[in-house]
Amino acid sequence: MSDAQTNNNVPPPLVALAGWLLPGAGYWIIGQRVRAVTVCVTILAVFVFGILISGIRVVQAPDLSGPGSIPQRILQRPWFIGQILNGPVGLAAAYVSDQLAESPTYRNIEAKARLAEIGTLYTAIAGMLNLLTIIDSANRATHWGHV
Amino acid sequence: MLLQSPADAYVPFVYPLPIWDYWPWLILPLCAGVAIVYKSVKCGTMKEVPREALVIFVWMLVGFACAAGALAGVVRWVVEK
Repeated sequence: MSDAQTNNNVPPPLVALAGWLLPGAGYWIIGQRVRAVTVCVTILAVFVFGILISGIRVVQAPDLSGPGSIPQRILQRPWFIGQILNGPVGLAAAYVSDQLAESPTYRNIEAKARLAEIGTLYTAIAGMLNLLTIIDSANRATHWGHV
Repeated sequence: MLLQSPADAYVPFVYPLPIWDYWPWLILPLCAGVAIVYKSVKCGTMKEVPREALVIFVWMLVGFACAAGALAGVVRWVVEK
């Protein structure tokens, strides 16, 4: 695996989309394989560790069918904005969390206080780190011939 | 959330991790993750990343320790006043 050459033939929006679909995939398709694997493993590890700490209920999508405007409803769960930046992994976690919330066995299982805050922090920071890599990989696809 | 009966066996990724007494140590993996990704973005070549990430990891911990010490001092000073 090499990260010395950057493939500039890939459109930056496609690089950004790939980076959202799978953390690090943006780097992978522009040829920076080592960077891709490093950020993919690290971001997913941070996200999964956050869920391990607090339980999957820490990823909660806003209820868009509730009262108030859509921005208001989204801002009721602002950390989900960070969590969704992890891509389909964040969406899948939110779906499973939603299913557990309706389960009679697990509906009351939810982290409180510090552990909830820490898990939320982990999962949202993983998403924000992914945003950083999405922007950087798209930028490298746009401007850089050699890295 | 607390486990309420023996039937409530710990299920990873569903129940919170039972580490209530050790939560301050959770800063270490988070700082490590941030350091690795940040330096993977910043560094020109990936060969530089391990050393650079280690340096910024240590600096983050030093910064947090200083901030914690300063805040503890402020709290103690306010309480003693």
